[in-house]
Amino acid sequence: MSAAQIRFATLWRRECNRFLKIKKQTIGAPMLETFLYITIFGAALGSRIKHLHGIDYVLFVIPGLIMMAFSTNAFSNNSSSILQQKFQGAIQDQLSSPASPLELLLAFSLGGFMRGLTVAVLTFVVSVILVGLPVEHVLVLVPSLFLVGFFFSQLGVLIGVRAEQFDDVAFAQTFVLQPLIFLGGVFYSAALLPQPWETLTRFDPIFYMINLVRYGFVGFTEVSIALSLLALTAATTALFLFNLRLFSRGYRLRA
Amino acid sequence: MKALAINNLEKRYPTGVEALRGVSIDIEPGAIYGLLGPNGAGKSTLIHCTTGLAQPTGGSIEIFGHDAIGNYAEARQAVGLAPQEPNLDWFLTAAETLDYHAGYFGMPKRERRERVEELLETFSLTEKRDERTRTLSGGMKRRLILARAIMHRPRLLILDEPTAGVDVELRLELWHYVQKINQEGTTILLTTHYLEEAEQLCDRIAFIADGQIVAEGTSPELAARFDVPNLEDAYLALVGRKELSRSHIELTPDEVEA
Repeated sequence: MSAAQIRFATLWRRECNRFLKIKKQTIGAPMLETFLYITIFGAALGSRIKHLHGIDYVLFVIPGLIMMAFSTNAFSNNSSSILQQKFQGAIQDQLSSPASPLELLLAFSLGGFMRGLTVAVLTFVVSVILVGLPVEHVLVLVPSLFLVGFFFSQLGVLIGVRAEQFDDVAFAQTFVLQPLIFLGGVFYSAALLPQPWETLTRFDPIFYMINLVRYGFVGFTEVSIALSLLALTAATTALFLFNLRLFSRGYRLRA
Repeated sequence: MKALAINNLEKRYPTGVEALRGVSIDIEPGAIYGLLGPNGAGKSTLIHCTTGLAQPTGGSIEIFGHDAIGNYAEARQAVGLAPQEPNLDWFLTAAETLDYHAGYFGMPKRERRERVEELLETFSLTEKRDERTRTLSGGMKRRLILARAIMHRPRLLILDEPTAGVDVELRLELWHYVQKINQEGTTILLTTHYLEEAEQLCDRIAFIADGQIVAEGTSPELAARFDVPNLEDAYLALVGRKELSRSHIELTPDEVEA
């Protein structure tokens, strides 16, 4: 391995090691939360609703839950890791190394991505075993999940870099991200909503992400797959380039 | 080639504060160079600019001939930093702290493993190798920070007030480490508030005040420059507090008899 490869692998390993050291909190808790949702919305409500757009209600809900688990874990891992390291001053060790802004950004991003992916894959495996979750369109599902994970990893990095206190991260997660996810149609179809809520839902970018992932798993969507993939690719690329610019300038990282 | 060549360095913060105003320093390879000045003089800002933790607004920095601002990778590879405030990662053990640091600097795994054991032994931390850093005592943290700074074998070691707030025993221990590291060929830039520390360790010393180097030389040269008997009085003259000189302290009768 070259020195640059060792450097990048170490930066990435540090981010993964961090969440694996506290896996009860970073893996166990999100898994429990996801299965509580499945139990409450799938089993309890599912016994009344049965089908939505011809799909078992529990199967309709699980793709949204997988997407939610991936996104919130990717986001919260990166935002809290960066803020915590800024708070301790430990980030100086990485910043004073020969690592480039691109290496630092990718390493911080991939830490959260790996955590989100771990929770999402575990949820998927258990869902296949328990309720036979299908994969209808793997060529849509894989890039969609990759883009969703990478987008929220970037968002976590952005909030972590900007944040000056833990309240800033909690605010973004509780008052922005959670409402957008819950109102994006994880548990229901937008078509069931009365106006103006149905139209308003279409202004929520997470609605399109949930539909991409749902289409990948169960083959049902309320939006254009091609357009949604294109828009998500553009948004993820734009956010990545924006973060790269912040890292290159040392925004709130270097004095 | 100089170990560190700083030329006309300027740093203005977005708040408008001018922390460095045209600082120039040359440090020869193998030297121990002291940087003295009151709080807020610009010592830490100068160090942060040299190590990439702050971005200068003017001037140049070269470390063993490598540009530390524009083409920083080679320059940073040559520098080790022991910062003023303990900045250890709470999630890591003592051994991981050293291992990750070396990884950031591209050191291969086998070499890292050997170097970690060597430094844990040198700094009497072997028994604490698997303990998380937050559980270490203050003295152990200081030693671990110094070990981390030299983990990747830097040619220039920067020590930002390494003995601030430590007891006499640890201070002397750290002095021994610093001298040993220097004898092995590492150039050292040391900031300190302890004048006896600067006198004991440093070949040359610069006084920095209000973001500018106001005097530079050996300890006797600085005393001569301010027309005083020693470095401490030269420093007091610099900060305008000559009245605090020990020569003005009246001895009690008991002290006179002693």
